[in-house]
Amino acid sequence: MHEMTLAIQAIRSVVEFAQENGIENIDTVVLEIGELSLVVPEYMEEAWYAAVPHTMLERSKLKIDMVPGNGICLDCGQVYNIVENKGRCPKCGSDSKDVLCGEEFNIKEILVPEEE
Amino acid sequence: MLRTIEIKQSVFADNNREADSLRAELKEKGLFLLNLMSSPGSGKTTTLVRTIEALRDELRIGIMEADIDSDVDAHTVQDAGAKAVQLHTGGMCHLTADMTRQGLEALGTEDVDLAILENVGNLVCPAEFDTGASKSAMILSVPEGDDKPLKYPLMFTVCDCLIVNKIDVMPYFDFDYEAMCERAKKLNPNIEIIPISAKTGEGVEKWADWLRGQVKAWKEK
Ligand SMILES: Nc1nc2c(ncn2[C@@H]2O[C@H](COP(=O)(O)OP(=O)(O)O)[C@@H](O)[C@H]2O)c(=O)[nH]1
Ligand SMILES: [Mg+2]
Ligand SMILES: [Zn+2]
Ligand SMILES: [Zn+2]
Repeated sequence: MHEMTLAIQAIRSVVEFAQENGIENIDTVVLEIGELSLVVPEYMEEAWYAAVPHTMLERSKLKIDMVPGNGICLDCGQVYNIVENKGRCPKCGSDSKDVLCGEEFNIKEILVPEEE
Repeated sequence: MLRTIEIKQSVFADNNREADSLRAELKEKGLFLLNLMSSPGSGKTTTLVRTIEALRDELRIGIMEADIDSDVDAHTVQDAGAKAVQLHTGGMCHLTADMTRQGLEALGTEDVDLAILENVGNLVCPAEFDTGASKSAMILSVPEGDDKPLKYPLMFTVCDCLIVNKIDVMPYFDFDYEAMCERAKKLNPNIEIIPISAKTGEGVEKWADWLRGQVKAWKEK
């Protein structure tokens, strides 16, 4: 359900972008989803295709790029994958960290047919 | 042939922009909006009724109900003496700033000093979506346990006030109030913590005082 709300927001943003830039045809929309973002890609795909009918994205494809959830240990400086290491630094065991990436939910890019 | 057009636009950032502009408009109008969040059943509606009773003589109150089983809730708060609208969220799990703006339009705010949004009952994603509210508050009820700050840190980080509800049942639960406060303050040193029982009315006056103060400060330029 979370994904449905997000899908509707993302679709609206893409449609707005297309209108502002005079783009009439979009072949593919590429989304970027962070591992730590609480957005489940499979659900997003489902929600997306449920929400696009009657919009200009009705026939466009969706592609999802995942972004790893990486953090830097505040005690020893190790950079590690937060999900794989269950939030604890694999080098020193500390759980204090700054998240470097993986919380995003972005509209990355769109692919449009090239005019001859 | 396909051409790639980079957009790199965060859907969260979009919402944040929308929220900031709504907040600026509310400030301009002197309309205070409270975003009230919690798990389902922790006592949002009951607390709202108490809040209305405490403040209805001095403030004109409008309630937007977005919680799921809230067809009942909208009536309940109306009976307590506030204006109310039911937002039809179609099973959505959080409100965006855009939806909040539509809710305010549906409510009609010309005759409202204090608008309150009863957000969808869920401690996860409403925390990620700024609604554009002047202030955010959450309710944690005693039966839910004192470890909630550890499980849902973001919610505790984004709220200005934490209401601990159902303190009347404290003797029956293994709820370490001090430990919970310590956990919440570690996440958010500025959070105001107010223990209440929406059932008996204990502590409600302190909550009403906090809210009254916030509304007053918001209206001062
Ligand atoms: N014991 C006790 N029960 C409460 C208190 N506040 C609410 N409740 C009960 O908790 C249940 C859920 O409350 P409600 O206000 O509907 O929660 P909401 O889902 O967050 O709106 C109801 O049965 C209320 O009567 C309280 O302070 N003490
Ligand atoms: Mg309710
Ligand atoms: Zn959500
Ligand atoms: Zn380390």
